[in-house]
Amino acid sequence: MSKSVKIALAGNPNSGKTTLFNALTGSEQYVGNWPGVTVEKKDGILAGHKEVIIQDLPGIYSLSPYSIEEKVSRRFLVEEGPDAILNIVDGTNIERNLYFSTQLAELGLPMVMAVNMMDVVKKNGDKIDFEKIAKSLRCEVVGISALKNEGGMEAAEKVVEMAKKSVVEKGPGKLPDVPHVFSGSVEHAIAHIEESIQGKVPLRSIRWYAIKVFERDREIIKKLDIGVGEMKHIEEHIRDCEKELGDDAESIITSQRYEFIKKLMDKSLALNENRKGKATLSDKIDKFVTHRILALPIFILSLCAMWFLAVAENGPGTVLTDWANDGFLADGWHLPFTTHECREEGKYKGMEFEDAQGEFAKAEATVAAWEAGEKKASIEDEETGEIAEEWDIDEAAYNAAKEFEEPDPGQFGVWVPGLGALITDALDRAGVNDTVKSLVVDGAWGGVATVLGFVPVIFIVFLFLAFLEDCGYMARVAFIMDRLLRRFGLSGKSFIPMLVGKGCGVPAVMAARAIENERARRMTVILATFVPCGAKTVIIAMFAALFFREQWYVAAMMDVVGIAIIILGGIALKKTRFFAGEASSFVLELPAYHMPTVSGVWHHTWNRLKGYILKAGLVIFPACVFLWFIMHFDWSLNLLADEEIEKSILHDLGSWIAWIFEPLGFGSWQGAAASVSAEIAKEQATATLKLVTVGMEGVSSGAHIQNFFAALGDFPKLAALSFMMFNLFVPPCMVAIAVTFREMGSQKWGWFAIGFQLFVGYVLALSVYRLGVLFAGGGFGIWTAVAILADLFCLWMIFRPSKQ
Amino acid sequence: MKLVELKEGERARIVRVSGEEAVKRHLGALGFVAGTIVRVVGESYGNMILAVHESRIAVNDATAQDVEVANV
Repeated sequence: MSKSVKIALAGNPNSGKTTLFNALTGSEQYVGNWPGVTVEKKDGILAGHKEVIIQDLPGIYSLSPYSIEEKVSRRFLVEEGPDAILNIVDGTNIERNLYFSTQLAELGLPMVMAVNMMDVVKKNGDKIDFEKIAKSLRCEVVGISALKNEGGMEAAEKVVEMAKKSVVEKGPGKLPDVPHVFSGSVEHAIAHIEESIQGKVPLRSIRWYAIKVFERDREIIKKLDIGVGEMKHIEEHIRDCEKELGDDAESIITSQRYEFIKKLMDKSLALNENRKGKATLSDKIDKFVTHRILALPIFILSLCAMWFLAVAENGPGTVLTDWANDGFLADGWHLPFTTHECREEGKYKGMEFEDAQGEFAKAEATVAAWEAGEKKASIEDEETGEIAEEWDIDEAAYNAAKEFEEPDPGQFGVWVPGLGALITDALDRAGVNDTVKSLVVDGAWGGVATVLGFVPVIFIVFLFLAFLEDCGYMARVAFIMDRLLRRFGLSGKSFIPMLVGKGCGVPAVMAARAIENERARRMTVILATFVPCGAKTVIIAMFAALFFREQWYVAAMMDVVGIAIIILGGIALKKTRFFAGEASSFVLELPAYHMPTVSGVWHHTWNRLKGYILKAGLVIFPACVFLWFIMHFDWSLNLLADEEIEKSILHDLGSWIAWIFEPLGFGSWQGAAASVSAEIAKEQATATLKLVTVGMEGVSSGAHIQNFFAALGDFPKLAALSFMMFNLFVPPCMVAIAVTFREMGSQKWGWFAIGFQLFVGYVLALSVYRLGVLFAGGGFGIWTAVAILADLFCLWMIFRPSKQ
Repeated sequence: MKLVELKEGERARIVRVSGEEAVKRHLGALGFVAGTIVRVVGESYGNMILAVHESRIAVNDATAQDVEVANV
């Protein structure tokens, strides 16, 4: 078969659509670049049917344009036109679900309705007459249970069969048999409209278009380009109906659809009388979860659980991160449960591998220090660059240390080489020169490995959120938080993007799509990335260790500052003319609580995580190669040694823009280079800083950085704080910026978002440094005045009365 | 009577939905049309969880203000 068959999978949110899609397509899915929840259209190959493509539409309630999802779905259904529709319907809430089904049926495409959750329907003691529904809606109806993987494939095969038959028999041009659900006068008006739009639309969907014209759907009327006279005539018919039925056209259509469904349900649905009106288990849980007083503590408790899992010391997140950074991506790792003390004779006998490594590192440091003529040797902490241990050395110690050989990991258990080691080995074996090796190992792989090193933490955050979303709790969080967030111009649904933002800003910005209110959605996109993400946590950790040992609260304060910016920024933006107006409504379906499936949570997590990993490959890789290049070469393309970094292209580029950072207290080429390179990926700020301060005095890279800030002026701690805050609160990394532009919908709005973020980050760093210097007795300068004026401007933006 | 005036556990029939056009349309799709019976499952600071057909819909007080109901 040469031509592929396209089947659209459509249904309400929470109808089990994603579960069915995953079951039908297995692993053969094609998702857009940056998937949000189920916001984007996903394509997949039907398992066992290579020629059939299943197209997963977002879960929606109607084909009227309400949310982005509805607009995307209906445009796809009426314009691109799949060959057939597989409509999934929640059998436990069939009346409401059929509202959407009646609209789908009017499109005139072959359709199979899969009534899901039949296991629950049966358990509840309810009965549904499929035949009557099928006859009434002119489609095939089958019962399935997506969760138990029953009947889904049969439903899919049936719809494929119908799609193929309809191509052979009818062709798309014939008037199809669609249900007529409205009362006499409305049907009469629709018939008239059908007449006047004939030839302008595909015949099979003419009824759907006619109803939309009756509803005065602006988008459709504009598209059909109906003549003025004709439209006047149509308008008369609509007005007659409105007068007769005492309601507006759109409400008439909605009500009559529900009336039609009610009549159909009266004869085809037998509900178990004992169950009617009783509180369900979900209702009982909600008594606690949405309780006036208990709601917030319960929510905070669940957040604490997430933080324990992801970032607590010795929690699963940190254990996995260590494994990824030190083992999987670096030299290698021992298989769990195979490790043992060294049994071979020699210096390491009886030692654990880590102790042996420590001994060897100390021996190496002793040798290096003695040969450099020092009297003391030291080793530094890899992450912070701090001196971890220091000891005196003499010739005897030097001679003893020279005897040490690198411990062989194979003597301590079953050793699995890491990716870093494999790459280095391969390059050694290929005999490439040192420059190429440095490019590959330090430049390309180094950058990619740093990004991949965050995967465990981000994975756990996303896994936890996917679980909360899939079990139904997140909908409650949106409901609980709405009251609070509304005051800042946001919606309760803005909270989910911000939580995702703690892991990574890119899926966070994507997740904002679920917010229908355009103003609240744009505001969420602008503000969500102020939550310090996984990469920014690296910057915070390093600065906290190097400069704020005694001020333990500085690290935690950064999260608080992020939240404060969101609140105050929200208040200020809401008062501008761009975001003025009341986002007054909140409407959200709360799905019944249920235990999520492993595969569901996995797909959900993976869809978000995949974006993050792709970013490492597609963006970080080339960017790091470029950065390595300008760091290691001068303008005549001579290769430079590490110490010669002051001759590099990077040095000159940094020098040209250093004046921008002068008011912030770090106006040197190093500060500029580190801040700009942080736009590749935020953690690059720390990596670049380590590299560009090589020329500084000091025995460790941490000391280099400390001395770098000390050399900047009299207030190194303030300069360090300013540098850190600047990098945390200016626009996010370039991938997140690209997504922000896309989600803001236009260049103008994109620049607005980036401009706002730049302003906030710059003013914050400026104020922290200049006002800090003022209070520390460093005097008043022109920039102090600018900082005060900027702050007064911000305060005015926040506290001025709103125009209403 | 406004929907927002109902107390937890009370039932009422929807008479009319007013307010912003897009929201009204969305509420309609969820089953908030004249004649539908709603039950208040939970209430917190004027925000409500409602049983409509077999689903639970959360609305805030502003939205509950816009729904006119009558006793059953």
